[in-house]
Amino acid sequence: MAKVAREMVERAGVNLDQLVELLVKNASAELTTFYYYTILRVNLIGLEGEGIKEIAETARIEDRNHFEALVPRIYELGGNLPGDMKVFHDMSACPPAGLPTDPTNIKAMLAVLVEAERCAVRGYTHVCNLTAGKDHRTYDLSLAILNEEIEHESWFSEFLGEGPSGHFMRRGETSPFVSKFLR
Amino acid sequence: MPLRQFTLDELAQYNGENGAAAYISFLGRVYDVSASFQWQNGKHQVVHKAGKDLSSELAEAPHGADLLARVRLIGELGTEG
Repeated sequence: MAKVAREMVERAGVNLDQLVELLVKNASAELTTFYYYTILRVNLIGLEGEGIKEIAETARIEDRNHFEALVPRIYELGGNLPGDMKVFHDMSACPPAGLPTDPTNIKAMLAVLVEAERCAVRGYTHVCNLTAGKDHRTYDLSLAILNEEIEHESWFSEFLGEGPSGHFMRRGETSPFVSKFLR
Repeated sequence: MPLRQFTLDELAQYNGENGAAAYISFLGRVYDVSASFQWQNGKHQVVHKAGKDLSSELAEAPHGADLLARVRLIGELGTEG
């Protein structure tokens, strides 16, 4: 635990217990999404599915990166991950991104993917709102994750034909915003 | 069927804790969020609690009132107690 770092956040008026709980729930959402996206990606086949596979894979890897980036902050703030993986799964901040009943229905697959990303966008906006101007490190981390989640949402949203975003697929390394927390 | 009328005290009983149903109010309407993944044990995003009028809290939420279309409208919140 980073004692002084924790004190600074507390003195700034942040409810540390609530913040740590939120970070753990979001870490759970990231790791469980990484798992569920693995199943979705495997099933993204055929003429329509193959076109979405690459962005689903990028989102999957970046969600795992988000989990990795969140964990040190949780422990810095005096929190911890549950010892029981089942407990961790069930405390996720977002619903499971489960495989649709008909995995050949690509629109249904995209609906699952975009809904998962929208949950994440709302969740990190919430954390940013709670920490802005108070907990600079958590804010910086949450903002970096938020930037990537917004891009994920845009990718899937465009495949659903909801409108253009101007975003491109990744060129080169994954996690352009979060990578600084992974070094 | 007419909507059930709630007072704030009645609403407070539906806080989602210890197996109780979870109801919330927004702009005079009462919604049952018991079945919502986002309202497990009567808590939403750690900081919001069921059994209350959340009109002012929703104004600061990172989503609009449109998400309430996903839960069941069950009543109206009266102005008394």
